[in-house]
Amino acid sequence: MESKITEVYQNAPVEGKETECEKVSKLLDLVIDGEATSEDQHYFNHHIEDCVTCFESHQKQKLLKGLVSGHLKRVIVPESLALSIKAKIQKTL
Amino acid sequence: MSERTGKQLSKEEKDARFEAELLPVLDPLYNFAYRLTLDEDDANDLVQETYLKAYRFFDYFEQGTNAKAWLFRILKNSFINEFRKKSKQPAKVDYSEVEGYYNSEDVEGESGVATTTDMRTESVQDLIGDEVASALNALPVDFRTVIILCDLEGFTYEEMAKILDIPIGTVRSRLHRARNSLKEKLEKYAKSMGYNNNEI
Ligand SMILES: [Zn+2]
Repeated sequence: MESKITEVYQNAPVEGKETECEKVSKLLDLVIDGEATSEDQHYFNHHIEDCVTCFESHQKQKLLKGLVSGHLKRVIVPESLALSIKAKIQKTL
Repeated sequence: MSERTGKQLSKEEKDARFEAELLPVLDPLYNFAYRLTLDEDDANDLVQETYLKAYRFFDYFEQGTNAKAWLFRILKNSFINEFRKKSKQPAKVDYSEVEGYYNSEDVEGESGVATTTDMRTESVQDLIGDEVASALNALPVDFRTVIILCDLEGFTYEEMAKILDIPIGTVRSRLHRARNSLKEKLEKYAKSMGYNNNEI
């Protein structure tokens, strides 16, 4: 009986195009942050070869990350800071 | 026990080791402090406080381990525990002012000042940087933090989880929501620059 239920469940059409895209969209951040497993990465790459929607969201998310990493200006550390840290530390026992 | 006594260093040795291992993190640490406090003086104070704490706990720092993550964690905790309470307004930038500026005609006026092509390209780069900064600054501090740690400093999810004292699952969901929020803010800008909604 139990195996029959499992069988029915497995044969249900859950693996439609939509759920595949959902799975890929959940992997998106992991992929652009280099945190996906090689298996997930492979699945992702394979999917975006055929799916324009997911390909485009991948491009957009990469662009967004690039805006922060490539365009956000770093503030310049005041020259006095390192000196005053060293001075304070020397006074600390 | 014997390991602790074996590690007893003279003050000079300890200071030298401290400076060699932890001072190289000053630049990213100051930038992080600045992105949290949005104020140069506050960032200065926060970084000094962080280094003093690190010095007090330096015996517990394992040599050769991730000094950057360790200092970021101390700074984050100082910010939450003491600094945020002390400062009157945690977010000093009024986004509506910045937004008003960029949405006005001034954007064109500004780039119009740069007459040569080179200068214009440069000023567009500056404008993008400024806009990313103001969009980021307008996010709640928790969102701002994960984006800085991940996209600017390149910490892994695992390191972020340790720095923030939250599970990796929370890191992931927070980062996801933070990015959506940042995207929303930047889309307004993209529109004003003549890109359509789908470009970002
Ligand atoms: Zn898809």
